[in-house]
Amino acid sequence: MDFLNRHKGLKVIGGALVAMAVLPHVISVPLATEIIIYVLFAMGFNILLGHTGLISFGHAAYFGLGSYFAGFALRYFDASVWMSLLWAAAIGGLVAAAIGALAIRKKGVYFAMISLAFGQMFYFMALSPLKKWTGGEDGLKFIPKLKMNYPFYLDLSDHISIYYFVFFVVALSLIAMWRILDSPFGRQLRAIRENEDRIQACGYNVTMAKFYSLVFSGIFSALAGGLMTVNLGYVPVTSLYWTMSGTVVMMTILGGMHSFIGPAVGAAVFLFLQDSVMKIIDRWEIFVGVMFMVLILLFREGIVGTLQQRFGARTSQEAAEG
Amino acid sequence: MFGIPVEVLIMQVIFGLALGAIYVLLASGLSIIFGLLDVINFAHGTFYMLGAYAAFMATSLSGSFWVGVAASVVIVMLIGAMTEYFLLKPLYGEWPFYPLLLTFGFAVAVPDLMKALFGLIGKVVEYPEGLVGAFIWGGVLVPKYRLFIIIFTAVVMIALFLFLKRSDLGMIIRAATRDSLMVNVLGVNTSRIWTTGFALGVGLAALGGALHAPMVSAIPDMGVEMTVESFVVVVIGGLGSVGGAILGGLIIGQVVSFVSLFAGEYSQVAIFFAMAVILMVRPRGLFGEAGRL
Repeated sequence: MDFLNRHKGLKVIGGALVAMAVLPHVISVPLATEIIIYVLFAMGFNILLGHTGLISFGHAAYFGLGSYFAGFALRYFDASVWMSLLWAAAIGGLVAAAIGALAIRKKGVYFAMISLAFGQMFYFMALSPLKKWTGGEDGLKFIPKLKMNYPFYLDLSDHISIYYFVFFVVALSLIAMWRILDSPFGRQLRAIRENEDRIQACGYNVTMAKFYSLVFSGIFSALAGGLMTVNLGYVPVTSLYWTMSGTVVMMTILGGMHSFIGPAVGAAVFLFLQDSVMKIIDRWEIFVGVMFMVLILLFREGIVGTLQQRFGARTSQEAAEG
Repeated sequence: MFGIPVEVLIMQVIFGLALGAIYVLLASGLSIIFGLLDVINFAHGTFYMLGAYAAFMATSLSGSFWVGVAASVVIVMLIGAMTEYFLLKPLYGEWPFYPLLLTFGFAVAVPDLMKALFGLIGKVVEYPEGLVGAFIWGGVLVPKYRLFIIIFTAVVMIALFLFLKRSDLGMIIRAATRDSLMVNVLGVNTSRIWTTGFALGVGLAALGGALHAPMVSAIPDMGVEMTVESFVVVVIGGLGSVGGAILGGLIIGQVVSFVSLFAGEYSQVAIFFAMAVILMVRPRGLFGEAGRL
């Protein structure tokens, strides 16, 4: 992990922010916006997967609920953009706390199944019983035109201003995430990943640490969902569907879950590939499914991890921690 | 009850039992695989879907539903054995989530492959002759095919129990579920047992798919919901226990059937509430062993 060396870590985060700042001038702006939103989603997800060693197949729940609640705030309560994002993050934390209370004590595989089941529950809730508010299959539409009034006026209807608004929120979030994961709490999470029993024996409360890890992960994922609403101006019901959970799992592992910046690289490569492959063939899922299986069989550390193993790290220990 | 004639309620019970039977087949397969390999098969519904398609192809080639069902189970067991051998085997002994993630990749790629091969339109499997329609029994309309599924699944489950409890291979499978290292030390090739167990588990999923096919017709995405629903069943029943899978499947079948009668729009959500309640009241599931999960 980069964390042992704070100087190197700050360089990594600074580099990522610079790369994100110039991204819309390299590729199309809407794609760039989508990428940095998924960067936040994947890195939020990775708090749980890469840093704590817990796998959730229901992260669409946090992302999607974040999207919907930001949408509700904007459409029904006439809230400001900032307020709607706050709503989104809050609901993500609350739902994560509820699911965590029910499932976090479970062994990993069990937690994976339960998270998938609860994820699908929210999808079906949005699809049918709550149709009146969510718009059912059509998604939540007619969100009013967005603008930001505070601290200065910004019209959020052209692509480039949306991009830099999203960039600002994502950058703040990544710095916050860095602070969380660089703290003693963050180290405790990675220690749990390496050897849960031993950390328990050392007198740490493993269950609570996992619980907070899930809550943080839920907050950042939901915030990413809220940003997606700001970006798209509507909420598709597929943002709650299990394929969304699957996408973030694949992005994170593609980039390398054992590195802080890996999921960001994964999200960028994934979406760029999707954009390019879909221009040639429309069978993206075969492509990505097979790619993912090859990744699991041969390149488990993902892009960043594999590169570090090849070129970066001097010792095998460093390579493994990457 | 609630102004609904008792005949309708009994019919709803039968519908629920038939649906529950499909869940029982899937969930018991999932439980066997988990017990042996410690792998949650995220592609379980995919094998169910493959079972339905294999049944469609074999039925249309041979003209007989029964040949179709038998062929479907055999074909999918072979696919399952190959999947385990080539894709999962290299991952044992690594981080326990890698096999799970691999089955997830399988569940993403294969339905899309089926879309490319067969298109999006459902493939209809004809009801077998003699099981079309329904008969009236004491004022209750009993659909023949659903009754058949209930009886057939009961027979399969009894056979599975006898196989696991009485046969030598079944004994080895049960022993390997407890402690595969010890079984290996005693001179059994556990690697082969795992392949067999995986094939057996997905074979049960395929049987579920083949039997369900005339009722729902085969579509590439039919497996997704089934994977999730069979997860719910094993969480309720207790993971790793075939008895729990049976009880859980029957409960969920009834829940779906009655909720669709009384509150149709909640039919897909109700099973998750049932799961949440079980998790609060009895976290290990109805038949689950304490401390294992």
